[in-house]
Amino acid sequence: MVTALWRGLDVFRPFAWLFAVYSASVRHQGHQGYPAFAQPWLAWVVLGVLGAWTVGSVLYRTRSHSLNVVRFELVLACCAILSTRLVDTPAVILGGAKTLPGLWPAAAVVAWAVLKGWRGGMLAAFLVGLADLVEVGVATQNTINNIVILVLLGGCIGYCADLSREGHAALGEALRLRAEAGERDRLARTVHDGVLQTLSYIQRRGIDLGGQARELGEMAAEQERLLRALVSRSPDQPPAGGLQPAAGMRREVDLRLALGRYADGVVSVIPPAGPVLMAALVADELAAAVGAALDNVRCHAGADAHAWVLIEDKGRDVTVTIRDNGVGVTAGRLAEAAVSSRMGVAGSIRGRMSDLGGTVTLDSWPGAGTCVELTVSKKGPAS
Amino acid sequence: MNGPQAQARWEPMAEDRPDRPLREVTVRVVVADDHPIWREAVARDLSDAGFTVVGTAADGGSAVSHTLATRPDVLVLDLNLPGMGGAEVCAAIVDAQIPTRVLILTASAELQDVLDAVKAGATGYLLKSAGREELIEAVRETARGKAVFTPGLAGLVLGEFRRLANEPAAKDRREVPELTARETEVLKLVATGLSCRQIGAHLFISHRTVQNHVQNTLNKLQLHNRVELVRFAIARGLDAPT
Repeated sequence: MVTALWRGLDVFRPFAWLFAVYSASVRHQGHQGYPAFAQPWLAWVVLGVLGAWTVGSVLYRTRSHSLNVVRFELVLACCAILSTRLVDTPAVILGGAKTLPGLWPAAAVVAWAVLKGWRGGMLAAFLVGLADLVEVGVATQNTINNIVILVLLGGCIGYCADLSREGHAALGEALRLRAEAGERDRLARTVHDGVLQTLSYIQRRGIDLGGQARELGEMAAEQERLLRALVSRSPDQPPAGGLQPAAGMRREVDLRLALGRYADGVVSVIPPAGPVLMAALVADELAAAVGAALDNVRCHAGADAHAWVLIEDKGRDVTVTIRDNGVGVTAGRLAEAAVSSRMGVAGSIRGRMSDLGGTVTLDSWPGAGTCVELTVSKKGPAS
Repeated sequence: MNGPQAQARWEPMAEDRPDRPLREVTVRVVVADDHPIWREAVARDLSDAGFTVVGTAADGGSAVSHTLATRPDVLVLDLNLPGMGGAEVCAAIVDAQIPTRVLILTASAELQDVLDAVKAGATGYLLKSAGREELIEAVRETARGKAVFTPGLAGLVLGEFRRLANEPAAKDRREVPELTARETEVLKLVATGLSCRQIGAHLFISHRTVQNHVQNTLNKLQLHNRVELVRFAIARGLDAPT
């Protein structure tokens, strides 16, 4: 943005100079209702100096953005204005003739505004205005108008430059913070990996050594599972609903997190690699139904039973399959329990799922446990 | 990019190769892990179990160079190695067209890393919290050319096929690999903790057929990955002979 302002200034300056030369050449021929210059040679010398400065500032664009350069330009602009007194007779000046450099001093005001903000712009505008007043000698309406416009120009452009600098600084700060967070995440991954490795190793050695060491091993195994569940939450993938108004059904959550809390020594949660985003209310209900199914496993499947919870993202729908390797039930009893809803847990699952507009299938083979499959639309019954 | 040898690796092996008695032919293993304690422990366990550990490596680069130099039956690979990622190591070994198979043994919680390594050519995945017997059995199975499919890996592979099917960017449906109904069924059963024998008994097929189905799903995914890489290379103009 600031660069764009400088570029605009580099274009403005030559045009302002050309306009000044054009005005002077018209005066030189004695048109415009004013007599010719009293000292034409001086007029051309002054315009020549301004022209050289203009060409130089275009050629050395990058070096012309320093305080010393714009300071000198301002002095040059004021001198050019004051030189009008020598070029023209006081009568002509009081008659309302334009100053010799015309619009050119505005370039110095803008340069100050871009470099030093609104204060710099207005200061430069005041100095140029002062030179104008000294040149004319009295405050004519025309001069006052010019001065007000110059001050407004310096103030406005300076304010724009200030804003863009602040925006740039804020952007830089945000980028720095993001880079820092990324680096912290990277370090955290290394640390987490090391801790997971160590906990796994303690578990392994503890089981080897037996006795009290075995207890230590089991504690390590538990902590390892918890840490793994925490780390899998992939914080660098914000939920897609995060930008929408977070109201009610609109909010989306990752089902992997909602079900991840069930993972322990008995229950394995098997998620896909990417997030499974769905309406938060649906995810909560689905998680409660899965919890009920797992309670059922703990109650009925036997002491050594293990359960697996498979999460499948099918696009519009989500399917969660809960299987245990417990004693299972005969198909007849299962059907009977399901139909009469006497099985409290099965009833609770069915109730929750029918509220969500989802489906439940129950399957059991003797010897290979029970399988509960829950399918529900990600957006809930409304869709 | 792929020679005939590399092609042959994607064919189902489990049925073709009879189970060899492993006591007669020792299985040669390279262990790659950046944690020295783990590296030594795994190497010791495998030696005790009768395998020949022909090398160990502490970073990705030396894992590849050791494997290329010794051409072991199995590379036991940790995913978070310094230098090269697990997927890069797998890709380098597949590119070298050597018969070594890769078994991932990791503590990593990054499921995407595991999936990437499997897509790049690894045929097995085990968590470090798995028991010693499980590890030994997994190395043995990997050496036999069988995929080591834990429920977790089956869930990842199934999830990847679902993702590919749901991808809105899939303009040409022919390019997206799909599972047959039977393959999906088998993967779901593996992902919910059933063994190949249990699945075979349930579906009235032999457990070898079950293993073939599982292996096929992996082959499809790895082949798709290679096709994508070649397509990417051609799109970038990297197919010119060098």
